[in-house]
Amino acid sequence: MDLREDTSGDVTILEIKGRIDSTTAPVLGERLTASLTTPQRRLVLDLRQLEYISSAGFRVLLLAARRAEEAGARFVLCSVTGKVRHLFDLGGFLDLFLISGSREEAITAVH
Amino acid sequence: MRTVETTIANRRDDLARVTRIVEDLAGTHHLARDVVADVKVALDEVLTNILAYAYEDDEIHEIRIRLSLDQEVIEVEVEDDGRPFDPTALAPPDLSASLRDRSVGGLGMHFVRNLMSEVTYARP
Repeated sequence: MDLREDTSGDVTILEIKGRIDSTTAPVLGERLTASLTTPQRRLVLDLRQLEYISSAGFRVLLLAARRAEEAGARFVLCSVTGKVRHLFDLGGFLDLFLISGSREEAITAVH
Repeated sequence: MRTVETTIANRRDDLARVTRIVEDLAGTHHLARDVVADVKVALDEVLTNILAYAYEDDEIHEIRIRLSLDQEVIEVEVEDDGRPFDPTALAPPDLSASLRDRSVGGLGMHFVRNLMSEVTYARP
C-alpha cells in the first residue's frame, strides 16, 4: 500500500494505491487518526487506485468515520469502483460512508 | 494441476508472504485480477481469524496454506493446529447498523462465503 497526500485549498486528499488488508491497515489507521484529530479538518480518501480492501481495512475506515464525526471533521471517500465497490456493497458500507463519484465531487462534498 | 504450498508462523509479519505467493501464482498463470483479489481477501480473512482466535498460548504454531489451480478452479486450503472452530457455522453479520453501532465482527467470514464459490471446514 502506498499513500500519497495532496492538498486542494483547505482539503487534504489521501490517495491509496495497492491493498488494504490486515498487514497494511494499521499504517492507514495511524495516518487517518493523525489527520482527523484536528477539528474542521476536511479529508478526502481517494480509492481510485485501491486494488482491494479486507475487513481489517473496513474496521479502520469505520473508526476514522466515527472519529471524524466526534471531532467535527469532514471525511469523504471517492472513486469507489470495480472490485472495491463490490466489497463495499457486500459489507453494506455503500450507504454507511459518505462516498463521492470523483475527487472533484468529494472536495465539494467536504465543504 | 499446479499446486503451491507454504507454511507460515502464527505471526502477522508472515501474512505478507502469503499475498506474494498468490501474486506469483497469478502472474505465472495470468489469472483474472478480480479473482486474485477475491482469493487474497479470503486468505487475509481466514488467516487473520486464525491468528486472533485459534491459539490459547503464545507459542509459535505452523499454518499450512496450499493453493491448487486446475483449469477454471482455484482451491485454497488452510490448515492449522488451533482449537476447533467451524467458521462456516458463523451467523451472518448485521449489516444494517448505523455508523456508531456498526462493528466488523463476522464480516471477514461473510466476505469469504460471498467471494468464494464453496467454503468447507473439516477436522482430521
